[in-house]
Amino acid sequence: MARKTREDYTVDTINYILLALVALITLYPFYYVLIASFNLGQDTARGGLYLLPRAFTLNNYIYFFNDKHWVNAFFITVARTVVGTLLGVIFTCLVAYGLSKPYLLFRRFYFLLIVIAMNISGGLIAFYVVLRGLGLLNTFAVYVVPTMLSLFFLLIAVSFFREIPEEIGESARMDGAGEMTIFFRMILPISLPLLATMGLFLGSNQWNAWLDSAYFVQGQGLRTLAYRMIEVINQTMINTDAIGAAYAGSMQVTSFSAQATAMVISVFPIICVYPFIQKYFVQGMMLGSVKG
Amino acid sequence: MKTNPAVQENKPIGAASKPSLGRQLRKQLTIQIFVWLGMAFLLVFSFTPMFGVIMAFKDYKISTGIAGIFTSEWVGLKYFHELVNDYRFPMLVRNTLAISLLKLVFAFPVPILLAIMITEVKQAVIKRLVQTFSYLPHFISWVVVVGIAYAFFSTEIGIINHALITLGIIHEPLTVLTDPDSFWGLAVGTAVWKEAGWWTIIFLAAIAGIDPGLYEAAQLDGAGRLRRIWHVTLPGMRGPIVVVLILSIGSMLGGGLVGSNFEQSMLLGNTINNDKSQIIQTYAFNVGLAQGRFAFATAIDLVQSIIAVFLILTSNFIAKRVSGTGLY
Repeated sequence: MARKTREDYTVDTINYILLALVALITLYPFYYVLIASFNLGQDTARGGLYLLPRAFTLNNYIYFFNDKHWVNAFFITVARTVVGTLLGVIFTCLVAYGLSKPYLLFRRFYFLLIVIAMNISGGLIAFYVVLRGLGLLNTFAVYVVPTMLSLFFLLIAVSFFREIPEEIGESARMDGAGEMTIFFRMILPISLPLLATMGLFLGSNQWNAWLDSAYFVQGQGLRTLAYRMIEVINQTMINTDAIGAAYAGSMQVTSFSAQATAMVISVFPIICVYPFIQKYFVQGMMLGSVKG
Repeated sequence: MKTNPAVQENKPIGAASKPSLGRQLRKQLTIQIFVWLGMAFLLVFSFTPMFGVIMAFKDYKISTGIAGIFTSEWVGLKYFHELVNDYRFPMLVRNTLAISLLKLVFAFPVPILLAIMITEVKQAVIKRLVQTFSYLPHFISWVVVVGIAYAFFSTEIGIINHALITLGIIHEPLTVLTDPDSFWGLAVGTAVWKEAGWWTIIFLAAIAGIDPGLYEAAQLDGAGRLRRIWHVTLPGMRGPIVVVLILSIGSMLGGGLVGSNFEQSMLLGNTINNDKSQIIQTYAFNVGLAQGRFAFATAIDLVQSIIAVFLILTSNFIAKRVSGTGLY
């Protein structure tokens, strides 16, 4: 290895400074929201909170988990994520398994339909009209049914299943097992890397979705965390009077401290799951980029 | 159906003579049903809305449901005339194009630079740390990003405003979130913050694929760090740079690489910065859902879709010229 030159030192120094800046810009917002969620709301509203909670409190969390709207929104979000991810992964894999069989009749026609559906969209309004026509508006199903088939992962799953040797199902087929049994008992268990990647992406899409909760359902019962956060932000973004006013007076919770708490709760699961699945999604991203 | 080439091509190995189509189909019926389920899904959620765009040429009433799309009366180009004569139309086109172009210009180079910076870090631990946190914002919802923007830039509790006032740099809080003139910058900035790290994955993979011998050779020839970046790293990333650039041009109206034009306009847009924040897509959405003018809204969507398809075809054509292979 050659000795470090002056240029090396300069480049390294500047590079580290820039990366430290990138780190600060990326991570500090998360950190700030975190300390704001552990600080008394009315104290945060005075400003000047930068590094550590100044008036440490759990009030915001106590408030959050005692407010029936927030709690309901939280459980709806959990439910849609679990149900939506399971449905999406299983249904997409089932269709992909069928499409991966080289002897499948009319394959080219099916793939033509898929390519058309991937590239042309009828727009949101036409989609809304269909949802309305199917009676999906204002139901829990509107969160999990239209997302059941992910075309992006369908193609990835097809190429994944093609790599599985045909012999794996063969002996079971001899014993009289149906395709359904083979798919659930033999194919899915050996496809864990695929299932993990799909699970992370479809799961985070479900967890983060907001448009459907804001426009495809009405009333409080089915609203998700994302929707409730939008509601609070919109209330305070323009109408600045609302901020100082206590949201829940005695606990000194303000609309911002409630919102910060909701944000922490909404980001937390992602940060927990994320390090474990990182290696899969990098692979998934590369697969996807090859496909375009 | 009897001359389906796929059938002959995929004749099962070892089959002495070709069984009839019916027999074959019956044999693979379960597998076919799996696929039919998927196709039924596409029919409902992709193709019906696709045919639904004929609403744009009809006097459609939402009360007539899905069937009404096909039975309502034709009105020709009425809604397109209405759109072109809408006083907001030039503003919508200007905003859509401006935000899309700004993102193309400013958001595109960031992941490339970031990937180079990460590669230049030699300590494996720091490298991995930087990579890990730079992907993270991609998985956070736009709602949270907007919440963060609010926490930082709001005139009341925004900590940037508070810090600048405390330091005496400004006396009045900056109205970043409501000032129409700062919306485009806000849109590009938040999109870069959220997505730039994510796109480094592709460029990092490209850099990892560069032959280390090239660096050694360049070093022997007396090239310093910066010249090695310029003459080895950058040329080594040419392929993905071209592909990603083409993809971003193709998806430009949605925001290109960093996407999210619609989300930002919906979530960061408000009644005060409307003039600069409303884009074609959100206008269609609001007109359709808030005012119930579904046919008119579909016409607006259709205009956007036609421009988008045109952009995809153009970028694909350029791709074929440049690299000899299209994306489709």
